[in-house]
Amino acid sequence: MGGVPTRSIVRTGLLGGVGAIYVALVGLYTKFADLELVGQQITLGRVLIVAPAFVAAFAVTRPRVVAGERQTVELRGGLGVGALSGLVGAGVFAAALWFADWFGVDRIREVFVAITEPLVDFLTFDKGVPAGLPILIALCVVGGVVGGFVRTAPVEIRRPASAGVLAVILFGLLQRIIPIVFVQLGFEADWLYDRGAGLTWFGALIVFAVAAAANSLWNRDGGRTRERVRRNVGQAPAAKVGLFVAILAIMTILPLLLGTAISEVLGSVMIYVLLGLGLNIVVGYAGLLDLGYVAFFAFGAYTTGLLTGAFLNTTTGAATPALSADLNFYVAVWIVALLAAGVGLLIGAPVLRLRGDYLAIVTLGLGEIVSVITASKWAQPLIGGPQGMRGVTKAEVFGLNFQDNPQHFYYLALAFVLLAAFVSWRLSTSRIGRAWNAMREDEQVADAMGISTTKFKLLAFALGGAIGSLGGALFAVSIGSLTPASFEITVSITALAVVILGGLGSIPGVLVGALVLIGLPGLLREFEEYRALIYGGALVAIMILRPQGLIPNVRRSRELEDEEVSQDAWAAKAAAESEAVAAVLPGGGLGVEREDLE
Amino acid sequence: MSAPEHLLELTNVAKHFGGLYALSGLTFHVDPGEIVSVIGPNGAGKSTMFNVVTGLYGPDDGGIRFRGANIVGLAPNQVTKLGIARTFQTVHLFPNMTILENAMVGQHCRTRSGVFGSVFRLPGTRREEQRIRERARESLGFFGSRLAGYREEQPASALSYANRRRLEMARALATDPALVMLDEPTAGMNPRETLELRDHIVRMRDELGLTVLVIEHDMRVVKGVSDRVVALDYGRKIAEGSYDEVANDPQVIEAYLGTKAVG
Repeated sequence: MGGVPTRSIVRTGLLGGVGAIYVALVGLYTKFADLELVGQQITLGRVLIVAPAFVAAFAVTRPRVVAGERQTVELRGGLGVGALSGLVGAGVFAAALWFADWFGVDRIREVFVAITEPLVDFLTFDKGVPAGLPILIALCVVGGVVGGFVRTAPVEIRRPASAGVLAVILFGLLQRIIPIVFVQLGFEADWLYDRGAGLTWFGALIVFAVAAAANSLWNRDGGRTRERVRRNVGQAPAAKVGLFVAILAIMTILPLLLGTAISEVLGSVMIYVLLGLGLNIVVGYAGLLDLGYVAFFAFGAYTTGLLTGAFLNTTTGAATPALSADLNFYVAVWIVALLAAGVGLLIGAPVLRLRGDYLAIVTLGLGEIVSVITASKWAQPLIGGPQGMRGVTKAEVFGLNFQDNPQHFYYLALAFVLLAAFVSWRLSTSRIGRAWNAMREDEQVADAMGISTTKFKLLAFALGGAIGSLGGALFAVSIGSLTPASFEITVSITALAVVILGGLGSIPGVLVGALVLIGLPGLLREFEEYRALIYGGALVAIMILRPQGLIPNVRRSRELEDEEVSQDAWAAKAAAESEAVAAVLPGGGLGVEREDLE
Repeated sequence: MSAPEHLLELTNVAKHFGGLYALSGLTFHVDPGEIVSVIGPNGAGKSTMFNVVTGLYGPDDGGIRFRGANIVGLAPNQVTKLGIARTFQTVHLFPNMTILENAMVGQHCRTRSGVFGSVFRLPGTRREEQRIRERARESLGFFGSRLAGYREEQPASALSYANRRRLEMARALATDPALVMLDEPTAGMNPRETLELRDHIVRMRDELGLTVLVIEHDMRVVKGVSDRVVALDYGRKIAEGSYDEVANDPQVIEAYLGTKAVG
């Protein structure tokens, strides 16, 4: 049907149905049944009803390679295929629901705690099982049709439409931030958002229209405008500086607009940006997969505590650590970074000869050792063991308090982020960055070309460790007391997810990755329970849709078109200089060579 | 200490992998300003010899001296720093780095900017970076316009096969070597490119004043460039001398064509 094998449609539709059942089983529907995105009708829960069918239809209408030719699906076929796959999925979902109703919701709940009467009511739109099912099925079919549409509609329509819908969903999700920003800026927000709820219908329409219009402007004349702007921005230093200043300005005023509660979230985003920047040096630049990065985070936090006069929690009150100093934070933090660089050398030295998977496993173990030490009795006299440590410095300066005021803390963190980003950027564009790059691409060849891989691996571990320890130091300041629970393997995994989602080797990517992975779940407290699910889903999606990351490093996403343009320019110039291009590229020779590529 | 007679000198070098003797008792030398070709059937140990000299493998026995100094046990990057640059039998570039950057990597071992200089872009570092760039352009320029102009900013992966080979050589030249070791530089090239490459090898000596040690299968190239030819078989040197001497050596003919039927 429509160029898509029926088997494939049915299979993908079934997967969509299973996906919907999974969403129900983990309790996402009940959780988000009342999170209104637009008006009272479109809730996140309802979007999730449509989503599996949408994804299935989007996947099944992808272009296929048949007998060596790439075949796209026509619009009409795409809608049909989408509807059919939606119907199949809806059938499975509805059957499961019917079964649940017949079998007894309470009996199922003994195993699957999320299956409740309210869930059934929600999925059948309060009409009970047989009566409500047609609505559910119809919604899924609509989801399928939309999925097919988004894949197969002409590009001038589907791009703006998708942008509009995504913008509406994003605005809906950010319902706790955007109205605040509006009010702070002195605008009315009532026309856009219902008070304490999602967008108004009128607001949604405006958001959709603006996003769609912006998207069509951006992509007009077949993407030439977009490419031109990109190239100009990429080449003109002034444009780059302007962009940087704009982003910096937004980052500077953000906490003032958003108030204390959200500034706290931004503070933790900044801590992860620091961790991401440090890990980016190790993984993104030098290509050393380090799964034990939490070691530096813990080291930075505890060492800051020790150097700034924190004391240990004990059953009887407080005790002074075995080693302790009472330094000013702004002195201590440099010592912490220096020591952490030393720890980086210590961790790096034994793993120098390991590559890839082996390196990952060993660093995972080393990270775990650090986590275990923080919680151990053995280290109790020094860092407090399971009870931890409290009274870490508030890093007061000029009467500013960075522990109790999240807005102040954000600025402190921002300063460190800027410092770390600056160092990363300068290094990446230097002889050192080039050496890391060569080493990442081919270690043996880099060695043979005169790069001491030992030295540059250790350097990456040391610098990455130093920056990561700054993240730990700031974390210690922000929270004031340290317990082993904050230094578990999830920190390593989250930092790595931030780097990968944003794009390996990309500094702006780290910022975006941290905003998405730390900021969004922090803003929507409902998501907290599903953090791991969201990370997993986000990483899988990024690997499929955009493996180079959200904001990729230029090197990793060189675009063919740019090459062609510069090639043409060069060829024209060469011809003008009466340099026979034909002689440089012997006739026929080029084609033969191209086929011989490795 | 008297000036070393030979630029590179191998004495009784042996290397085995398990029971397989890839090299045994290999002795030969390369003098400054020479072009020496190494020939031999597949599996004769030619590439192993290259890897042993450049420090990728340590020899199991014997000595290797470069400019009179022992280089056994040095890491590949240290060998390169002493002045031996090489290419690989299968092209090994840094595919996602630009062509210019690939060549700039070659200058790494001749420069010294550290973390501090890079972060603050000290004047010395900037001058050095400029020098690296110029030197890299110079070595790319050795191959005429093939690797120059708009191509500088292209990723190495965008190059044609022959140009990848050339870039690999340019990268080796950018390390400012005294001795260049080329491992089958004409493999996979068409006759015309092969011919051109023959000239390049001669130019490396005549214009750049380099000494060249080259593994080559194409006998026209060997004949055209070699001051001396060393023939290997089963990890041993079976012949050495001028092209004509080696080409007419019965052992060499046997190694290539097989043993004459007995009786």
